[in-house]
Amino acid sequence: MPQTRSFDPYTENGGTILAIAGQDFSVIAGDTRQSEGYSIQTRYAPKVFRLTDRAVLAVNGFAADGNMFVKKVKQRLEWYRHAHAKDMPLRAIARLIQTMLYAKRFFPYYVYNILGGIEEDGTGAVYSFDPVGSYEREACRAAGAAQSLVQPFLDNQIYFKNQVPAPGTTHPAYLSLPDVLSIVIDSFTSATERHIEVGDGLEIYIVFAKTRDLQDFETIRAKNVHLIQELTVAEDGERIFVLRRDLKKD
Amino acid sequence: MNSLVQRFDTNNALSEIKRTSAIIEEDGDNVSDLMWGSYGGFGNLATGIPKFNIPAVPDPSAFLRLHTDDHTDPSCRIKIQHGTTTLAFRFKGGVIVAVDSRATAGSYIASGTVKKVIEINPYLLGTMAGGAADCQYWETYLGIQCRLHELRNKERISVAAASKYLSNLVYSYKGMGLSMGTMICGWDKTGPQVYYVDSDGTRLKGDLFSVGSGSTFAYGVLDQGHHWDLSDEDAQELGRRSIYAAGHRDAFSGNTINLYHVKEDGWKFIGNYDVSKMHYEGPGDIPGAPGHGYGYSIRTAGKSSADPPTS
Amino acid sequence: MDSSFAITGKGYAIVAADMTVSRSIVKMQYNEDKIKVLGSHLLMAFSGEPGDTVQFAEYVERNIRLAQIRNTYPLPPPSAASWIRRELADSLRSRSPYSVNLLVAGYDLSTHEPKLYWIDYLGTMATVPFAAHGYGSYFALSLLDRYHDPEATVEEGLATLRRCIDEVSKRLVVTPGKFKVKVVDKNGVREVEL
Repeated sequence: MPQTRSFDPYTENGGTILAIAGQDFSVIAGDTRQSEGYSIQTRYAPKVFRLTDRAVLAVNGFAADGNMFVKKVKQRLEWYRHAHAKDMPLRAIARLIQTMLYAKRFFPYYVYNILGGIEEDGTGAVYSFDPVGSYEREACRAAGAAQSLVQPFLDNQIYFKNQVPAPGTTHPAYLSLPDVLSIVIDSFTSATERHIEVGDGLEIYIVFAKTRDLQDFETIRAKNVHLIQELTVAEDGERIFVLRRDLKKD
Repeated sequence: MNSLVQRFDTNNALSEIKRTSAIIEEDGDNVSDLMWGSYGGFGNLATGIPKFNIPAVPDPSAFLRLHTDDHTDPSCRIKIQHGTTTLAFRFKGGVIVAVDSRATAGSYIASGTVKKVIEINPYLLGTMAGGAADCQYWETYLGIQCRLHELRNKERISVAAASKYLSNLVYSYKGMGLSMGTMICGWDKTGPQVYYVDSDGTRLKGDLFSVGSGSTFAYGVLDQGHHWDLSDEDAQELGRRSIYAAGHRDAFSGNTINLYHVKEDGWKFIGNYDVSKMHYEGPGDIPGAPGHGYGYSIRTAGKSSADPPTS
Repeated sequence: MDSSFAITGKGYAIVAADMTVSRSIVKMQYNEDKIKVLGSHLLMAFSGEPGDTVQFAEYVERNIRLAQIRNTYPLPPPSAASWIRRELADSLRSRSPYSVNLLVAGYDLSTHEPKLYWIDYLGTMATVPFAAHGYGSYFALSLLDRYHDPEATVEEGLATLRRCIDEVSKRLVVTPGKFKVKVVDKNGVREVEL
């Protein structure tokens, strides 16, 4: 009797990603640990990628599928650039990702995607996807191994869930960049403390609307010159930066 | 055997895809080579049923079942969002569509802000139960086909035809793992219409449907309060109250309620209501509302079943 | 597949249980009484594993009677429910447990109020204003959340119960058929026609 092994082309590579939309900026972050089971494969495998000057994609789940998927999205965006001589708008990228994921409905990419960036109207936006392409625009989203640790924290800090404003005050409609960055960093340091698949390094992508005054950011940048790198390509458009930090390595 | 059948079967999805792409070639309405870059987004969908990548295994649907969650196996890797309550009913003032907004992956609440009403076009609404991506994708696709119908025939598609289009489409994928339970609601020449369409291929015309894990709880309230001559306000209240009931009794449903009303001039979004707020405070001072929270303990506060002798 | 409901109201409790006994796909009987009268002011609806149900109900019936003979006074509803629950819990941990779900309803003469207990075969007990067992509960609980009134008259209570039965008859695939309905109040137990 010939034994047939079942076709199993998937694994789970751990890690966590997260994105938060501000009024005129967007922050997309991910840790850089890649693991399989209890083994750490590498301490630096990026999960967050710049797509355009105003779009950043974070992928989590099965790393091989994720890398392949990002590669294909980038290819489609390049084709678009050649055909239309401009970058694809964020909401169009979101729909593109839906159709690309759904095209593999019967052989899915095992990846959870979060797309962050700036919308055509200059607002910060976050889109989150399931592996087969259902998507929704949100203000914040965590995905991956520590989703269940991070998302409740975000619900409390971003949406002010279960918080009562002090008498005579209201919750702010939008959070400032320094506040958002603190929340992102705290999310990852905490997830690193309590989840074995999270740690090593943290990459935070920050996208600014073109109209935005970067004064608050320049203050942060001046203090962390060696940590922050600008990735903007075009002039007079949206600006995009990456901030790299260490996370605990045990 | 399976692959042999599939090769000669002219009714399955694969051959359907092949046949459609052949038709597209013949029609010659395929986009020119110069436009190849504009495929971003839905460009490819307008030209026929899209191509799907299929794993090179003897039984692709068994492969899919192995790796995706069809509700029975929570241990699998790819979790598809499940758990829902949706309802739609017809009455003299049109169609009420109400849904919850919770998406669960196992016992984790993956989202509390899901849009389970899909706005196909200004006259058609679809609801989402089962696979979120399946509903979102195919109902968007249905919207494209409905628009093409309008352009070709200079008149709006009927709800019957739109639902039949969707039903035939999902039926061509039967057995491949699609999971949808949807109500297609709208107003056409024949008046308000509700059709239930699911991925088994069932298509039913009716006055009142509820779909999802919380549907029995919604039915309990809905059936008892429903009649044809309901006022607009009372009908909206009934839809809202029924989803609340499901959100309260079914752990897989909840968070918020989205309420829509379809009238002769198209659908209107009535509002988004927090289930917890409905429990304690109710929908507030609006016509049809009870003026207090829906919660049993709120509604019956201060009441007692004790019957002490009066002396 | 059996369904039972119970509700409390102003000075009374109503218990209803379907009257069919089915085996496989066959309805073996359609006039079975699944509500035991355990005392002058105590009712118990039982459902579950065929065989276990009647055996356990009769065991409870005789022991509640014994308690009354020994102590002159009947066990009040809370004590009766506690004893019944404990019997189920002990049974669960024995070699052959009873698989029986119960609704215990009574009128407490000392506090002048109706009492209703929802008890399942695992020995879980809850004091509730209304209760249901079986598939009927999926339809009736939301309905009762909406329509139940703790201060309803017997007529209003029966009307609410009617809604539950109508709903189950309308939506449940296997319609339970006729229901037996019993009321307990300060005057004792009586059977009513819906």
